[in-house]
Amino acid sequence: MTEPLKLAVVGHTNVGKTSLLRTLTRDVGFGEVSHRPSTTRHVEGARLSVDGEPLLELYDTPGLEDAIALLDYLERLERPGERLDGPARLERFLQGSEARQRFEQEAKVLRQLQASNAGLYVIDAREPVLAKYRDELEVLAGCGKPLLPVLNFVASSQHREPQWRDALARLGLHALVRFDSVAPPQDGERRLYESLALLLENARPALQRLIDDQQAQRLARRQSGKHLIAELLLDCAACRRSVEAEPAAEAKAIEALRRDVRQREQRCVEALLTLYGFRREDANAGDLPLLDGRWGEDLFNPETLKLLGVRLGSGVAAGAAAGAGVDLLVGGITLGAAALAGAIAGGALQTARNYGSRLLGKLKGQRELTVDDGVLRLLALRQQQLMHALDNRGHAAQDSIRLNAPHDQTWRQGKLPEALGKARAHPQWSSLNPGARVNQAQRQEQLAALVQEL
Amino acid sequence: MPGLCCALDCSTEDPVTGLTELDTHWLTEAVRLREEHAGPLEDQEANRHARQHGGDLAARIEHRALWLAERDGMVLALQHWKQGARLAILALLLLALLSGAGLAFAALGDGQHSVNVFWALGSLLGLNLLLLLGWAIGFFLAGERDNGLGRLWLWLSERFARDAKAAHLAPALLVLLQRQRLNRWLLGLLVHSLWLLALGSALVMLLTLLATRRYGFVWETTILGADTFIGLTQALGAFPALLGFSVPDEAMIRASGDSLPALDLARQAWAGWLIGVLLAYGILPRLLLALLCLWRWRQGRARLLLDLSLPGYSQLRGALMPSSERLGVQDAAPDALPQFQPSAHENGSSGALLVGLELDDQTPWPPALPTSVKDAGLLDSRASRNRLLEQLSRFPPARLAIACDPRRSPDRGSLALLAELARNAGATRIWLLQAVPGQVVDAARLSDWHQALDQMGLPHADTAPMNWLEHGHD
Repeated sequence: MTEPLKLAVVGHTNVGKTSLLRTLTRDVGFGEVSHRPSTTRHVEGARLSVDGEPLLELYDTPGLEDAIALLDYLERLERPGERLDGPARLERFLQGSEARQRFEQEAKVLRQLQASNAGLYVIDAREPVLAKYRDELEVLAGCGKPLLPVLNFVASSQHREPQWRDALARLGLHALVRFDSVAPPQDGERRLYESLALLLENARPALQRLIDDQQAQRLARRQSGKHLIAELLLDCAACRRSVEAEPAAEAKAIEALRRDVRQREQRCVEALLTLYGFRREDANAGDLPLLDGRWGEDLFNPETLKLLGVRLGSGVAAGAAAGAGVDLLVGGITLGAAALAGAIAGGALQTARNYGSRLLGKLKGQRELTVDDGVLRLLALRQQQLMHALDNRGHAAQDSIRLNAPHDQTWRQGKLPEALGKARAHPQWSSLNPGARVNQAQRQEQLAALVQEL
Repeated sequence: MPGLCCALDCSTEDPVTGLTELDTHWLTEAVRLREEHAGPLEDQEANRHARQHGGDLAARIEHRALWLAERDGMVLALQHWKQGARLAILALLLLALLSGAGLAFAALGDGQHSVNVFWALGSLLGLNLLLLLGWAIGFFLAGERDNGLGRLWLWLSERFARDAKAAHLAPALLVLLQRQRLNRWLLGLLVHSLWLLALGSALVMLLTLLATRRYGFVWETTILGADTFIGLTQALGAFPALLGFSVPDEAMIRASGDSLPALDLARQAWAGWLIGVLLAYGILPRLLLALLCLWRWRQGRARLLLDLSLPGYSQLRGALMPSSERLGVQDAAPDALPQFQPSAHENGSSGALLVGLELDDQTPWPPALPTSVKDAGLLDSRASRNRLLEQLSRFPPARLAIACDPRRSPDRGSLALLAELARNAGATRIWLLQAVPGQVVDAARLSDWHQALDQMGLPHADTAPMNWLEHGHD
């Protein structure tokens, strides 16, 4: 096993070095991030591995804050008539006493960079190119290690990327990477590692492995996310409650169904958060969906549905506000057709038995409560939006997820996927129903079909 | 039959754990279902073991699952379950054996009466062919649904296992096999093997009865003609004849229809025909199907893998094979960062000076100044800093105002410079510029400035201190 590649993440204070590390390591709890300068005052490392083999070590360093004075000091370290090269000069500085006093923080950075294979020089692209940044680069160049400038905050409207590109080129740094640690571009990590591979030819195989692994994991995460959403939809579609046909009992059952569906959705949200490496507390603290903004709105509120452009069946509007209590006179017919389709599709005996008991319920004057199509579409939309947002969210992000208006026409109106139609006829598929049999082969089959469709 | 008995067991067993590869997959799946059903298990130790064990993610997940299964008695439950399954198979085999013998006995009777060949054939093969047809329809139409006999076997083995810990075992097996669509092959193997045994036992019984008793074979009809039977008999006998079984000739068939047959030759021909038909249309198809199922099952079993994209597994990645780990603090933070103290110059001479610190090109500079206030330009580079400090130390002004852009962060270098400038002037004030139109100042950053300046004891304001510069008071 070869030594992992070591990278020091360096830069001015407050430019987002720790944020970059959080995003690259997908670790929301790494270090401390705040608006205050000198938040990080120590050197802290993180390791990226593929298949259990460590490939890359990243070191977060304190911000450089006093580069102008340090460069001044370094130049005065040279005795008259002496010409020291960068590393030699730094060596002398690191052994001197100022490296433990006024320039203690800067010394940490330089020591770490010297011990690394290369440095990622993080830049707040909203900042003007000031002389102190140029001096920082000059001090860092003294370490004799390759530097890759990383333009952070390029997603901001106020960024000054052209000026920075120009200034860096003047300093001989032509390779640079745009990487917004809060909203990293889809291929941001790949580009960053590819640019590094240009600087460090020896590390190319390791970096390529890292790129491939991250791509594979991204796909796997998406697949898992779809699975979670499909489970949620199937659970809700198959959910069915039998209710006495009297107003009080109906209202109560509707309330219970609402609560159950909402809790089920919350479970899905939490599972997605865990899957994408975000914290569960984020959601509880109100940072993430369901509790603030649009997400907090009532799931069954017809207004929310309208807002999202989900067409509500006019006839069921009243009942649909609750999640569609289907009058059994009507429901008996439609559900009969669905059940019949289910029966033909298979499991005839079970369905027949099921259907029999439901017919019996009808005779006894019971009504059946299911989750409305619109609600299912809304659930699907919301969860897919959440997944998309999580997919594009950097682990340094601290604000809550903003959701764009849904645009996927297939979910907004029109037919629900076939699998959900089938699920309607199989109450035992829903974990929200008593006596659920969620491992039935048929359910798994439909689940797989639904995952395909998502 | 041996193929069936070892269908679950015969892949190579791990010498240490005594578990086959299939068992490992199975237990892993069962642990996943259990965690999905009842929430995550306490798995710190298991995860540690799995991490130490190494290997790829699937290997680690399996290791973890085996460890948890061992701890919670699921391995034992699995063994019980398998024992149960074996017992259930045994019971089914016994049933098949008996019913096969019963079939033959029912077909031939006790020898008191002559045997109606087509009735005998019907009772030997009728049910078998009917159920074979049912199986085929189920196989092609119903897809992956488990059939009745298979379900019976699963149900029986659960009963025999009688272990609460086994609750997730049967579903786990189904889910696991379902993924490679192996259910039908395994259950097909079971069904065909059982029928093979039943028909085999029927064949043995048939041979025994035919060997030890004398049967006369007849056919009877009310509305059909003899030719129909002749044609039918010969058509059915054509394939067994290829295998060397005798077919009664036309005269024999006619004779059997007429009266009680007396010829031993005819008896033997009919007996041979009956056995041939049973072999060719009963045993042979079942044997071939059983072999096909066995082949597909073995093939599929070799391909059996964990589906790592399932949420239950992909969530384990972080714990078992973290793609990132923290390495901890390498170089500890100092107790305190250096502080800078501005102390006003005692004998600041006359004059007022305004200087801008690290202002960008969007800020117009210098602002309109009264004649008594001099503009010291913008401070950015080392050269400009040194020049100003040089000048100040020679001619310290009475009043110095420094304009700062609060969008920059108040870093140590800037604060040190402010302190140094303040030490070279009679009085110093900081002017925190307001945002240029179209831009906003981050409130958090502004408060950082306030805090830093307050700590240094430098007065600051967000308006130009022109009055103060000009007159020395506001």
